[in-house]
Amino acid sequence: MADGRGGQSDQPRAATRTHCDRSDQAMLTYDILIVGSGGAGLYAALESRLEEDLHVAVLTKVYPTRSHTGAAQGGVNAALGNRDPSDTWEEHWFDTVKGSDYLADQDAAELMCREAPDVVRELEHWGAPFYRTEDGRIAQRPFGGASKPRACYAADKVGHIMLHTLYEQGLRHGVDYFNEWVTLNLIHDGQRCMGVNAYNLRTGRLHTIQAKAVILATGGHGRIYWTRTSNAYGNTGDGSAIAYRAGLPLKDMEFIQFHPTGLRRSGILVTEGARGEGGYLLNGLGERFMERYAPDKMELGPRDLVSRAIETEVREGRGGPDDEAFLDLTHLGRERILERLPQIRQLCIDFEGVDPVEEPIPIKPTAHYSMGGVHTDINGCTPIEGVYAAGEAACVSVHGANRLGGNSLLDILVFGRRAGRHAVEYARRTKLGPMPDSAFAEAETCLKELMEGDGKETVAGIRRTLGRVMSEKAGIYRDAAGLDSALADLEELKDRYRKLMVTDRSAIFNTEMLAALELRNMLTLAETVALGALARTESRGAHSREDHPERDDANWLKHTVAVRGPGDRPELRFEPVVITRFQPEARTY
Amino acid sequence: MTTGKITPKRESLLANIRVQRFTPGHDRSPYFDNFKLTVETGMTVLAALRKIKDDQDSSLTFRAFCRSAICGSCTVRVNGRSVLACSTQLLPILKDFGKGSVTITPMANLPILRDLVVDIDPVIDKLAKMHPYLIENPERIPQALEQESLMSQDELNSFDYLTDCILCGACYSACSSVQADPDYAGPLTFAKAYRFSIDARDNFRGIRDQAAIDQGLWSCVQCRKCIKVCPKDTRPADTIRRARKLTIDDGIQDTPGSRRAKTYVADIERFGQVNKPMLPVAVYGTKGWDAIEAAEASLTRHGMEPTRRVCTLPGQEGAARIFEKVREIEQGEKKK
Repeated sequence: MADGRGGQSDQPRAATRTHCDRSDQAMLTYDILIVGSGGAGLYAALESRLEEDLHVAVLTKVYPTRSHTGAAQGGVNAALGNRDPSDTWEEHWFDTVKGSDYLADQDAAELMCREAPDVVRELEHWGAPFYRTEDGRIAQRPFGGASKPRACYAADKVGHIMLHTLYEQGLRHGVDYFNEWVTLNLIHDGQRCMGVNAYNLRTGRLHTIQAKAVILATGGHGRIYWTRTSNAYGNTGDGSAIAYRAGLPLKDMEFIQFHPTGLRRSGILVTEGARGEGGYLLNGLGERFMERYAPDKMELGPRDLVSRAIETEVREGRGGPDDEAFLDLTHLGRERILERLPQIRQLCIDFEGVDPVEEPIPIKPTAHYSMGGVHTDINGCTPIEGVYAAGEAACVSVHGANRLGGNSLLDILVFGRRAGRHAVEYARRTKLGPMPDSAFAEAETCLKELMEGDGKETVAGIRRTLGRVMSEKAGIYRDAAGLDSALADLEELKDRYRKLMVTDRSAIFNTEMLAALELRNMLTLAETVALGALARTESRGAHSREDHPERDDANWLKHTVAVRGPGDRPELRFEPVVITRFQPEARTY
Repeated sequence: MTTGKITPKRESLLANIRVQRFTPGHDRSPYFDNFKLTVETGMTVLAALRKIKDDQDSSLTFRAFCRSAICGSCTVRVNGRSVLACSTQLLPILKDFGKGSVTITPMANLPILRDLVVDIDPVIDKLAKMHPYLIENPERIPQALEQESLMSQDELNSFDYLTDCILCGACYSACSSVQADPDYAGPLTFAKAYRFSIDARDNFRGIRDQAAIDQGLWSCVQCRKCIKVCPKDTRPADTIRRARKLTIDDGIQDTPGSRRAKTYVADIERFGQVNKPMLPVAVYGTKGWDAIEAAEASLTRHGMEPTRRVCTLPGQEGAARIFEKVREIEQGEKKK
């Protein structure tokens, strides 16, 4: 609180609104409206609400503490130097750029790494219970791809404590929360932001929320792979899809990070710790197949390589009965598992019904993180004034082709804060204009059409096919033929979507309607992922083309930018990568 | 290296999933639907609900988000017990009861919005009244962002387990005191208030103490059901005991609850047992006489002789020595 904010006052603000109903009001007005209640959204809300003169609201389809930030376990990177005093933000910067396979914009990555210590400390000053060093400072631990131990942590719950801290301080400082409201669109006049339409899940009513600034912070879109993801049910890329439909560009959508060891049924992650402790990866025949792919590092090879190895085994018919591979810990013995990996064991029992002491854990590679998102600058600004995006929904880009562990939590803090700050300045010098009625009518029609389709198609049916198409043709392995076919499949799915009918007729808590709206967003984004992947004829970071296995800096050291074109089809253009200090080198570890 | 072909042990059985349904404005009262479902190894209660919604009845309504027991959305009751649907394996439950049937109902103690979805705003509103956030102690938290605040791991450990709370509401659903008094704030709210009050970096403990007392801190009956159901093992009832002690230590001694606690302690030291006949006056002051007289009249009616003083039990001296020892230890700790 260098600038003396942050309320050292004894009394908190009088009004503490935990949730806003306002179901009687068709139109609501705010200075700054944040869509999404994860780390980026809540940080942006708090940052702008601390300015006291502005009315700030968070619109979320869940309750704020349910957001997926809470699931991040490992750590948040900041070169505090508490464990290794020689660590510097410059080294963090280099690690980030190298990890990105040189596709990150180096000015943006520099800024993130420079500001990292401040945002982590600010969160700590707000009460976040990070674990401590011997001398009482924030504890740090080593992480994959990092040259120094710089991940600040709290057991395996660092995302959870960060999310709760931000929510708590938001309550204290009078942020309004609209819980279980679903945002349908973004309204602007071609130059400036005007607001959104949103659907109150509890009442089924549609509302207009007028706002000078809207910050989209709705998280990633891993759910386009449906069951093959570690993401929450709701990580359907709502904000990115809404932005895209409103004419805003999406950047680097082809880059999706896969984690090699998700549980067979649910995709929930079994952390690298299990392999670090000596777990074997086995195929259905019981072979320790990593011998064929990484004879030196074996199970501890980089995430993308291990994911591809598993995929190859399954494709070539050496998977288990459900096309899975196995993570075998049984040889470690009961005692060692109970002592060193108790949480992983419990996870397997609770979510997969398998005790790793007794039998191998069935696993599949799982979509984990979306590097791409709404194209923004370093302040979260988009081409429309007053519209911002931050966090996993946005692409600045700091992660490039591959995100480094511990940088996702950092991204949401730094860029949530920056978007909030910029929005404050913008909102102060802007007046609300008149609202057109057309957007409301369009949103109303969209809801009505879903209720009145001809009923041949169901949400569940289309969603299942979408997940299969994306996993098989635009997943870990990609090639031109597969991606072409994926695009054709997606076109067909969009047709099928038009015949969808929501059979649940109730206005109250209609979760089938919610699922239908989410599915529309997923279909929208899936197409941009497949198109970007088809265009990018190289392999870089998480994007792996079988027909173009090498990185191609001569032609592809650039971002893809997808914009909605005629016929509701995406068109691609390209943006240069900002290179300031580090010239591209081979990415080897 | 090879261990030979892997054949996972996977079983399945045809089960009857009984789910409570209710849509306000449509149904007059809650009723049950029975769904037939093949339940496989690894299937959680949530996966079963999803499968039913996908394949059998798209109007079945429940909350769910992370599926990995960290978001706290999907609390329901399974055969009466409050659990997270996402981390509850179904097959063992079906096999345990040997009936191939399971009953799923919404959380208790909260109004039903629809089917398995309840209105959790009452919990969040009660929580908000507890000032559930850190208010910076300027002696511990620096003004400038360039500096960290210092806190030892021991200081953190005194409340770290409480930060595991995911606000799932399982404890609230299971709570006997909420059931008896809808204004009672519920286990998780007291636990969350306590988490901040004992954070060495906080500066708002006194006001939070009073907020907790105003919302029923002393009404907990220590039935410990919250401890049994908490999916994160945060043991709220234990925390409530600690929070009570904290308010007394902080000088809030003039409440019925604290008077009761102090009377228990004093009586046991003095008599080796609690002087129950006089407890109403000890706790409620002169208002307590009505209760005592009513109790005495009832005893007389049943041919028993009322007393206002209990005898001193034979073991009293031993109890008194324990008290002395405890005081000694506490003195020693204070000096440290």
